[in-house]
Amino acid sequence: MSGFRGKFSLLVLQNAPLLLFAVLVIVFGLMSDRFLTPINFVNIVNQASHIAIIAIGMTFVLLIAGIDLSVGANMYLSAAILGVFLVGMPPLVAFPVVALLGLAFGAVNAFMITQLRVAAFITTLATLFIGRGIALYFSGNKMVPFSKSVLAFGRATYLGVPSAIWVFAIVLIIALVVLKLTTFGRQVYAIGADPDAAAKAGINVKRVVFTVYCICGVCAAVGGLVSGSQVAVASSTFGFQKEFPVIAAAVLGGTSLFGGRGGVLGTVFGAVLIQTVENGLVMTNANPYIYPLVISVIIFIAVFTDSSRTTVLERLERRKIRVEPD
Amino acid sequence: MTAPVSPLQAAPEADQPLLKIEGLCKSFFGVEVLHKVGFSLKAGRVLGLVGENGSGKSTTMNIIGGVHQKDAGQIQFDGVDYKPKGPRDAARQGIAFIHQELNLFRNLSIAENLFITEFPKLVPGLPFIDRAAARKRAAELLAAVDLDLSPSTLVNKLSQGERQLVEIAKALGAKAKVIIFDEPTTSLTTRETERLFDIINRLRAQGIAIIYISHILDDVMRICDDIVVLRDGHVVGSALKSDMTIERMISLMVGRSIDQLFPPRDYSAPKGEPVLEVSGVTQRGTVKDITFTVRAGEVLGISGLMGAGRSELARILFGIDPYSSGEIKVSGVPVVAPTPTVCMDHGMAFLTEDRRVEGLMMEAPIDNNIALSSLQKYAGGLGGFIDHGRLDGDVQKMSASVQISAKDIARTLVKNLSGGNQQKVVIGKWLLREPKIFILDEPTRGIDVGAKNEVYKIINSLAARGACILMISSEIEELVGMCDRIMVMAHGEIRATFDRGGFNREDILRAAMWDGNRSTAA
Amino acid sequence: MTSADATIASKARPLPAWKRLLLSEYLVLILTVVYFAVMMFVVPEIATADTLLDVLSAMMPLLVVAIGQTFVLIVAGIDLSAPSIIAMASVVGASVMTGDAGYANGSGLEVIAGILAFLAVGSVIGLFNGTCVTRFNMPPFIVTLTTMMFFSGAAIWYTTVHTDASSIGNLPRSFIEIGQGRVAGLPLSLAVVLVVAGAAHFILSRTVYGRWLYAVGLNPKAAAVSGVPVRKVIFWAFVISGVCAAISSVLYTGRLETGTPVLGQRILLDVIGAAVIGGVSLFGGKGKILWTIFGVLFLTVIDKSLQLMGLPIASVFAIKGSIILAAAIIDAQRHRLLVSR
Repeated sequence: MSGFRGKFSLLVLQNAPLLLFAVLVIVFGLMSDRFLTPINFVNIVNQASHIAIIAIGMTFVLLIAGIDLSVGANMYLSAAILGVFLVGMPPLVAFPVVALLGLAFGAVNAFMITQLRVAAFITTLATLFIGRGIALYFSGNKMVPFSKSVLAFGRATYLGVPSAIWVFAIVLIIALVVLKLTTFGRQVYAIGADPDAAAKAGINVKRVVFTVYCICGVCAAVGGLVSGSQVAVASSTFGFQKEFPVIAAAVLGGTSLFGGRGGVLGTVFGAVLIQTVENGLVMTNANPYIYPLVISVIIFIAVFTDSSRTTVLERLERRKIRVEPD
Repeated sequence: MTAPVSPLQAAPEADQPLLKIEGLCKSFFGVEVLHKVGFSLKAGRVLGLVGENGSGKSTTMNIIGGVHQKDAGQIQFDGVDYKPKGPRDAARQGIAFIHQELNLFRNLSIAENLFITEFPKLVPGLPFIDRAAARKRAAELLAAVDLDLSPSTLVNKLSQGERQLVEIAKALGAKAKVIIFDEPTTSLTTRETERLFDIINRLRAQGIAIIYISHILDDVMRICDDIVVLRDGHVVGSALKSDMTIERMISLMVGRSIDQLFPPRDYSAPKGEPVLEVSGVTQRGTVKDITFTVRAGEVLGISGLMGAGRSELARILFGIDPYSSGEIKVSGVPVVAPTPTVCMDHGMAFLTEDRRVEGLMMEAPIDNNIALSSLQKYAGGLGGFIDHGRLDGDVQKMSASVQISAKDIARTLVKNLSGGNQQKVVIGKWLLREPKIFILDEPTRGIDVGAKNEVYKIINSLAARGACILMISSEIEELVGMCDRIMVMAHGEIRATFDRGGFNREDILRAAMWDGNRSTAA
Repeated sequence: MTSADATIASKARPLPAWKRLLLSEYLVLILTVVYFAVMMFVVPEIATADTLLDVLSAMMPLLVVAIGQTFVLIVAGIDLSAPSIIAMASVVGASVMTGDAGYANGSGLEVIAGILAFLAVGSVIGLFNGTCVTRFNMPPFIVTLTTMMFFSGAAIWYTTVHTDASSIGNLPRSFIEIGQGRVAGLPLSLAVVLVVAGAAHFILSRTVYGRWLYAVGLNPKAAAVSGVPVRKVIFWAFVISGVCAAISSVLYTGRLETGTPVLGQRILLDVIGAAVIGGVSLFGGKGKILWTIFGVLFLTVIDKSLQLMGLPIASVFAIKGSIILAAAIIDAQRHRLLVSR
């Protein structure tokens, strides 16, 4: 039974964010009648979906030990293009067009990183400015309203589930399949663990890395669409500094910044956790100024437990050269 | 562990070479590193490739493995002209390269590692992996290398030897006709080495051609059929094993005969006071009840198999890893709460077995590396400003005295040095502190014969100056040649100690092979 | 001998002039000068004394944060919390000094107490970051990301507790002088920055601690085995970064005459961008104060020129981004050149 107990305590350590989530749900549930309702749960997921979608793309990037700071700008650029140029188009035509533009944005990052060998941090820092600049130019530095059909899409529900959640679910399933069940997905993990070994093993590292940044670009644009269709207008700060909650969601879900560890399910959990906290604070009429404080403390706790767990695991896994009697 | 992997192909005519290399030339930045290298390899034979570091072994293999492109010359593989575009192309054509640093992904399973470039697909043409098929084929390949593990085990959990077998399984899976091993045994235990040799013999019987690169000449003599010796990018010797001896290999490699690989020292000179006294040092799971004393001017060797706890003991003595009970005294003074800094203050120095990871700043120039441990000695005043004039002068002197060959020690980055010169940089770093206790963990690992000889001279002169030396080595020959006493460790315990008069290879090995009172997992 | 930066190894024969230029550590300075020369034809106002003084005082606070950031980058860390330290220090310091019911108002020591408050905020947050990174083995990116989120929120909340306005004004005149005052025509802040930059330069190039910083950045394991107190070294880098952010906050707050919770909100990427453009590596072990100064100068000159051209914010963003990218590409190419020799 001691093996079982050992496994159990490790399970507790490994699922600290999950426990944190449970505690929060109980606390908020006790403080507000409206919190623990199915409608509110759908609401939370609905509000979390754009962050979750972008964070899924970011997860791919983090898995290869990269980073993409330009997702917020990409989001704003897609929203601006949708609101300014694609007004007449029905969403089913306009959305794929915008997603392709997002892919192009990602491809620019990818080109700089793989072909010109500029560090990802700097590349995406620069395209953050450029993307935002172009978007501001298109929008004329004004609010960009979306067409009625886009808003109708944002408010629509299918089978009782809001459209944003559908988009989110589709993105999630595709991402899961790609990461778990394709050669490309496994190669993403391989490159994250050791890029040099990956190249020696015959993996086309450049191609995989290129694709990863493109995926992140598409996800950012789709996230922008989803968020835009929910808020009706894109102000000039739309998507501003979104890269931080997005990275936070991925890290909260157990994805390592150093590559090779994590996955999209965790990321989705992270995004929902952040949104749950925000929602719970609203429901319990907390001072709005303390939202960011509470959220950052929660992210901190999650990362803190994760680091302690890693430290403990490393100590446990240190190679034993003697077998000692118990 | 049933279905053996089908022999990859029937051995071709024995007198027709599978791989034929002629006039291979390669230059890097205007420096010729390979000059008309040529040899041939037949199916079902093992060719040993030996030479000092920098002799061109790696470059030759990197060209065959598709990592580099040749400048001139011809390679015929299986009767046709062979020109790989990259490592992947080489692998596809049937050449597998098992690098010294294994190229496995710790975060993936064995099966995923085996098929990382070519997974079996659910539907041909679509990218989806057939996981069941991958597991099944992986199990077959693992059986072929006698590895009794589930294909879904994470590589993270495997020992070094097991990982190597996974690499071989990978080569088999890619239907390799030629497998290149680069220094395969440096980090294997004796048992794992034996297992590797069994597998190599089996591969040979299946008609696979093997190129075996190693510094360990005993191994080469044991496993190879043909031997090619390289020096300075030239083939200087090429013979059947039966026509070759270790002595001849060494003299070919060095270009002169080394009568005296181990420089003489006056072993009868009286030793001084006890300097390092270790009593009852114990750490659960690592070492137990370690007690010994080293005197000034004495060289104490520590022998033992891989994983016997030698390096672990060294790390405990230098304050890198903790210990739970026991006492360490330096010149009679107990070392309290040891950390590397505390141990250094007691006059200790520690040469790590892994100089790339723990010994050097590869991206920094030589002088900064040498100065690193002694900076405080050269700093004074309120701000802790470094006296650069004095420091630079002493570093320059040190670099000359350990004979580092580089034009400008302030400009040459350590990563551009040979293994031997890198080791001298680490040694220089510690000598600058004038240590009275020098713990050397595998001081000559991965360096060539000439550099070895120079390292031995440095050790002797240190001992002559009254330092006490603790020398850990996997090469018994080296310990026998250098030490006043040899202590043998097994399973974290000291099993025997021999005095210089009583050195005997077999006794040492027997003590090292002690299997503990209970068998261990590793 | 040079300090522990990555010295440009020259093993080969003399290089052609353009390659030498590309490899020069003054490349960014040269680019700045060239850019400035071109801009003199586009917007002649850029070469007036007033503009130049403007550039100078605009770059001072940015430079101080960037210097702190350089320390953290050299040990292969990153400090995303610097802007939030600026904001938090600004409102806390202002709340101590302000004539509107400030804590130390009327004591006669309000300016000193205020400045101490600034520095206290900076060092406490720096201590916290450093502790998390070194004691709890948390990744610097995440630690400082959470402190950034926390303290930018906290700064706003703190302001709402003190005032109904969006910032805390009515600061003592003598404090404002630090940010705005001029001595012999030069900004007073220049003196502060010169002291900070000088000290930082000497720490990095002449002290044991400086050499240790580079060693830890290049190979923390080897540094530890060589007797470098790795944790302490990293810890103090974060504290230095926090204190530098606090000093920068003093300059910013003085310039704006109010303690503002959104102060510095947008400078995070400028700070890191400037350091990296100057040549400081994000992967540690490489950096110099001089390089950081060049980087900050480069970005500030560009900002000013775009502002003088009267371009809309959209173009400013796009051009600035393109220039950062161009600088990064040039840097990547010179690395390639270095490696291929």
